[in-house]
Amino acid sequence: MTEKLARNEYLKEASRYLRGTLAEGLANDVTGEISEDDQQLVKFHGMYLQDERDLRAERTRKKLEKAFSFMIRVRIPGGVTTPQQWLAMDEIGRIYANGTLRLTTRETFQFHGVIKSNAKAAIQRLDSVLLDTIAACGDVNRNVLSASNPHQSGTHQAAYELAKNISDHLLPRTGAYREIWLDGEKIAGGEETAEVIEPIYGHTYLPRKFKTVVAVPPQNDVDIYAHDLGFIAILGEDGQLQGWNVTVGGGMGMTHGNTETFPRTANVLGFCKPDDALKFAEAVLTTQRDWGDRTNRAHARVKYTVETRGVDAWREEVGKRAGVPFEPARPFSFTGTGDRFGWTEGEDGRSHLTLFIQNGRIKDVPGGAQMMTGLRRIAEIHDGEFRMTSNQNVIVANVSPEKRAQIEQLVAEHGLTSEASAIRRNAMACVALPTCGLALAESERYLPSLITLFEERLNALGLGEEEIIVRMTGCPNGCARPYLAEIGFVGTGPGRYNLYLGAAFNGERLSKLYLKDVTEEEALEALQPLFEDFAANRQSGEHFSDFVIRQGYVAATTNGPDFHVNTGPQRLAAAQ
Amino acid sequence: MTYRPIPSTAPFSEEDITLLNRVIAPSSPIQRAWLAGFLAGLDAQAGGGAQAAQPARASKTSEPLTILFATESGNAEKLAADAAKAARKKGFKPNIVDMADLTPEDLTKAKKLLVIAATWGEGDPPSRVVHTYEMLMGDTAPRVDGLQFSVLSLGDTAYVDFCAIGRNIDERLEALGGTRVADRVDCDLDFAAPAAGWIESTLEIIAPAQTADAGHVIEVDFGARQAVVPDAPAELEVVDHINLNSSRSDKETIHLALGFEDEMAYEPGDALDIYPLNEPALAEEILNATGHAGNDVLRDELIRDRDITTLSVKTLEKFAAAIGDKDVQALIAGGHARDWIAGRQLIDLVTAHPVKLSVEQIFDITRPLAPRAYSIASSRKEFEDEVHVLVAAVRYETHGRQRMGVTSSYIADRLKKGASVRAKLKPNKHFRLPEPDRDVIMIGPGTGVAPFRAFVQERRAIAASGRNWLFFGDRQFTHDFLYQLEWQEALADGSLARMDVAFSRDAPQKVYVQDRMWHRRTDLVDWLEGGAKFYVCGDAKNMARDVRATLVKAFADVKALSAENAEAAVRALEAEKRYLQDVY
Repeated sequence: MTEKLARNEYLKEASRYLRGTLAEGLANDVTGEISEDDQQLVKFHGMYLQDERDLRAERTRKKLEKAFSFMIRVRIPGGVTTPQQWLAMDEIGRIYANGTLRLTTRETFQFHGVIKSNAKAAIQRLDSVLLDTIAACGDVNRNVLSASNPHQSGTHQAAYELAKNISDHLLPRTGAYREIWLDGEKIAGGEETAEVIEPIYGHTYLPRKFKTVVAVPPQNDVDIYAHDLGFIAILGEDGQLQGWNVTVGGGMGMTHGNTETFPRTANVLGFCKPDDALKFAEAVLTTQRDWGDRTNRAHARVKYTVETRGVDAWREEVGKRAGVPFEPARPFSFTGTGDRFGWTEGEDGRSHLTLFIQNGRIKDVPGGAQMMTGLRRIAEIHDGEFRMTSNQNVIVANVSPEKRAQIEQLVAEHGLTSEASAIRRNAMACVALPTCGLALAESERYLPSLITLFEERLNALGLGEEEIIVRMTGCPNGCARPYLAEIGFVGTGPGRYNLYLGAAFNGERLSKLYLKDVTEEEALEALQPLFEDFAANRQSGEHFSDFVIRQGYVAATTNGPDFHVNTGPQRLAAAQ
Repeated sequence: MTYRPIPSTAPFSEEDITLLNRVIAPSSPIQRAWLAGFLAGLDAQAGGGAQAAQPARASKTSEPLTILFATESGNAEKLAADAAKAARKKGFKPNIVDMADLTPEDLTKAKKLLVIAATWGEGDPPSRVVHTYEMLMGDTAPRVDGLQFSVLSLGDTAYVDFCAIGRNIDERLEALGGTRVADRVDCDLDFAAPAAGWIESTLEIIAPAQTADAGHVIEVDFGARQAVVPDAPAELEVVDHINLNSSRSDKETIHLALGFEDEMAYEPGDALDIYPLNEPALAEEILNATGHAGNDVLRDELIRDRDITTLSVKTLEKFAAAIGDKDVQALIAGGHARDWIAGRQLIDLVTAHPVKLSVEQIFDITRPLAPRAYSIASSRKEFEDEVHVLVAAVRYETHGRQRMGVTSSYIADRLKKGASVRAKLKPNKHFRLPEPDRDVIMIGPGTGVAPFRAFVQERRAIAASGRNWLFFGDRQFTHDFLYQLEWQEALADGSLARMDVAFSRDAPQKVYVQDRMWHRRTDLVDWLEGGAKFYVCGDAKNMARDVRATLVKAFADVKALSAENAEAAVRALEAEKRYLQDVY
């Protein structure tokens, strides 16, 4: 018995390798919209069609269609850009987008508010600095993350190179992107087979999105457990790279009210040699290509396939496809997921400056920090690189000793900073309103003010220096990885959030639903006694999330299917 | 016997002539005989005598009179018709000539000539007459020795070169050998009374000599006097009032829908005269500055009846004379009046020189408040008892003061749904849709798109087979795409065959409608060669000029023509009335 495939599967199949009717849709300049089918396909090209939701209410009466625009996400493996590329980003942001740049949790740039008639110009400007948006979204291997600041060690360099190689190797090969966006020559289709055009993906690509990261312990800044595929660097006694532990089956997205869907932390399959890493990456991808559930998009991520088939079957299948069996996983340990802010010295005399970018939004604030201008000025003189981190911050990397003073001055002049309270520098929000079509509640625009309220309360309890990870998303799909936050807020409706507690500080353990549909006031009221208890009764070095579990406020989540079990407060805070 | 229709020179209105012809043409000899007897009897009874009705002048004694008009908004044309009616009464056989169609022969043949000419913008001729005006002013103009003429010129004292066109024509006709039989009269916006006076007195001077055996003449009033007094505006109700620009736009364009109870027989292409009310705060300020604070009667008069914004050199002179203000006199004497009024309004004058003015003096330095014409944006076939206009709110700052367009701010800021507006139909016969099977190209950026909304609605309603192609432009696609959803519908149902858009503020490279035209030049020329009519509506200063230049370039490029021949191709379109403009 064959089940009916998900709608997108037929769409991919009929799309002539992601072409659809995108070219025609772009040429229609009377509407900012593209067809529903093309809206799905354009994701593979790195774009989402969105509309300005703050304006929705007035548009029809004004005889205007929705205020459509594209969100354009760039593919930047490892988050590394040259100053020249940064200047191009800055220019696109100012000229074609909404005047800002958005750094994302996946080490790249997003442009918001690019209207259809400007989309091609923006892509072509990207192309002029050798950047593209291919596979930044869609059912393919997306931008590959690497541990930040590789210049600190040779291992970081290896991690970046692996990220870059995976990204290039698993890139869709279709000529659609070049044809549609770069006015490239149309290649006569039809005769060539899928094996020639898309040797890895085939003509229907993957069942769902596929996210890959490369981590270097002890930092887990890339949040390796949240991704479909991961590589953990294993170093020998001598500090040299021995190889990689390979992980599969992490993922964040779920659907409110559907316990069949859940976030999941990845499993370690085993160890592989550096030379075999690319083979294993391809093997994991093709296993998912063939095993993944193409009948139900809410059940199509690798995490569900791992649940269905089991970790052992995966280990065996991937080893078989790679042509090399896994070696047993080697020991490693992670300490945290955050960034280290401020200046650090590299091994080669060059230094790196990690700047705090609240929620990744780079803009010039009227009467405030001129972040966009400041970073542009830095790019104009910088002789190293810029690196976007998985925590939505930016590193001015590889600064030569001669430039350091100049950069320090530009940082000060434009109100750029590495400083923020402990809770603020560990906070992260997704974009949400007004552009994201999925958002049920505010996130980026709201979290900063909520953090201020937390700061007041924590300072009053002497917890001002405590690193507590707070993350917020406007919907349950998890862009800011809220289920891996010590305090997570997931929007359920305007002004209301599900409150999650208890995820491990180092990213190894998921959180648990604590309260449903709370308002700001209710959340603050519920957390206050926990903060008070934490201030009074924490053990030395104990993180907030470990504390609330030890004290029995909330049950620990062991892994995905367990996420929806034993939810809610396990004991009343007041009863202690 | 074939029926000879009642001539258009008969003392009836055009409509009446049509009606009479409709009755009489198919009538039988018996019916006609009866009617003749009936009419004769009617007069015999009414007059109490036995006088038979006779035409005012026997046609063989009628003297030809050419009445030439140059119009942009239709006022000069209407006055020409008024003059013709009055002339017939005086025994002339008037021949009304649109200056757009004027040939040198028309001039050389004419013995007596009345000219009614409007001046447009900064001393320009109406756009439709540009070429004939050039001919008249140029070397190829014919001699007009023996011609008796007089000129009535229409203008606006708010503009620098007041009535320049009328003045130039007046001087030119004299230079070409004509004899000025009556002095030129220059009219400001309140032209009705001086124009009526000019018509009457000039006709009196040039009237043909009375024939001795005039017999019993029935003096028929053709309604000339009535015609020059504007019909009272109707009170229309605001049924919809929407700012079509997004709340993120820096523009404000009001879609104003007005409902009427009594018939308003407008056609696509017509305009609507809207009678504004001045901003009450401005009237108060003027009252305060002139010593009339608290005078509510005067306040209401200023709001409703007087133009309390326009400041012209004339105003300045009157003001200086009235109060003997030395500073203002010095300004005028020093030749700085023109500089000083630039960007200033009446309020600047009275607040800079506050002095008690009498009510008469206030009336003397203000003009009557004139209505503002807006192109109608709806078709009665789609909106039976509504008329729509599109109004761009004009706001700017000069000399430290926020300025607002009188009518546009009245509409944008002070009209609400349910309010009442005084308005009157202003027909524009020169901007009409062609026969249904002819293609139409419409260039309408900004509020210039208004008449084309009427065109598209009309052509959809009558299922016209001709194709409609619209070029629209504004600043931002997302925030300024006027009537976007309606155009999308029109494209979907075929009432628009094509639409090209240009938005100037979306990208560093500014794109205007003429750029889109250039992009589509092959198809444009193709449509025009297939007989399409080409319409332009909107900004006269830059857009209309650039659009025309682009079309010339398009012909040159597509048809491989020299610049002169391409220009001739566009001129041919204009001569055939296939290139029509409604610009402001």
